[in-house]
Amino acid sequence: MRQAPVRMLLALVTIFLLAGVQNATAKEADTIDELVAMFDDSKCAECHEEIYKEWQDSWHAKAVNSSLGGMRNFIVVGLAKEWNTKLTKTQVLKCLDCHAPAVNYASEKLAVEIGELIVKAKDDKDENAKKQLAKLNVGCLSCHNIKATSVSLGLHGAPKKGVVYGPNGEDGDDFHESIETPDITRSVFCMQCHGVYKAPDGETIQCNTLSGSYQNSYISMGGSKTCQECHMKKGHLFPGGHDLDTVKEGLGFDVQFAQYQHLPGKIKGVKDAKKWVPSVVVTAFVENKTGHRVPDG
Amino acid sequence: MVLEVTANKISDDAETKDDKANELFRAEKTWFEIGVDTDRDMRYGAWQIKEIIDLTLPPLQTQKEQYLINFDTDVEQVELEAKLYYYISGGKGDVVYSVKKTLEFDVD
Repeated sequence: MRQAPVRMLLALVTIFLLAGVQNATAKEADTIDELVAMFDDSKCAECHEEIYKEWQDSWHAKAVNSSLGGMRNFIVVGLAKEWNTKLTKTQVLKCLDCHAPAVNYASEKLAVEIGELIVKAKDDKDENAKKQLAKLNVGCLSCHNIKATSVSLGLHGAPKKGVVYGPNGEDGDDFHESIETPDITRSVFCMQCHGVYKAPDGETIQCNTLSGSYQNSYISMGGSKTCQECHMKKGHLFPGGHDLDTVKEGLGFDVQFAQYQHLPGKIKGVKDAKKWVPSVVVTAFVENKTGHRVPDG
Repeated sequence: MVLEVTANKISDDAETKDDKANELFRAEKTWFEIGVDTDRDMRYGAWQIKEIIDLTLPPLQTQKEQYLINFDTDVEQVELEAKLYYYISGGKGDVVYSVKKTLEFDVD
């Protein structure tokens, strides 16, 4: 009986501590500007100007507005009509966990608002909605923080606030703490989004199947290159199917023409059945030199 | 991605310069990114696709497309062209490679 007050005190301390932890992780943005401020990429440009410029021209920098059609269809057709399901943060994240990972830190209300903005931007061609959505993207901290530890959470734990995860962990001259994460140089890192996406509720979303063909058809056939080896040749521009040079590099094309005369009387419908028939055999060889199926994206 | 092979009759006659009129052969082979699931239903929404029949060109593979083309007995000169297009979206196709060859036939 004498232990009861001690147990009560321990229970209260535990509840207090748990509440504290929850509050620390429960900080959520209520506006797009608040969300952007939480993962302010413009600060990165102060030291990493060249990399930032490359990224600005990349499709990662416009990952929301460049995919409005597909996301709008998920909300309007998939959720509303086919699933008869309400637009919620959980549902919005089935697109935006990849297209704008910062939305993981949005409040329920803001996430739904972002979903509604997507529909407005697409259906009403609302320029203001597009302007708001342009602030959301796959930014520096999407990869170098939010998604940095996802593929080996057991080893690295959840991403720490304010820390920049990179391939070498070089210190940011006191500007930021850096932690080495070799995962970021591996294909599996890109495959979090560039492949079959498994939502936290178990839903499978397949925007493309790059990871499937990479693992099951490329690696299994003896391929050994990483995504980064080909798609980071132009740094953080990450060229792919939109870049003709990259497409060219990934495909081989050889065409052979074998001219001959076909035996008279063997081809129906020609003007003179007694004459040799002008003929050719055209053989085209199309080679996929990439590490994934083509086309895909 | 589309492979297009065409054969056009070469004519000196100005009146028959029209490409369509001179086209003797056209064939296309398309590699599709998405479309058909294992229930044989067309699927385009990412949320609808669970498994799909793979209609693409797999990695590390070379596919051969071969065409035997017979022209008419009075065709003396043809221009053959093979083009490989890459479509980043449904409507915009870029020519990745193009190979042309002119053939002359002795019809006498």
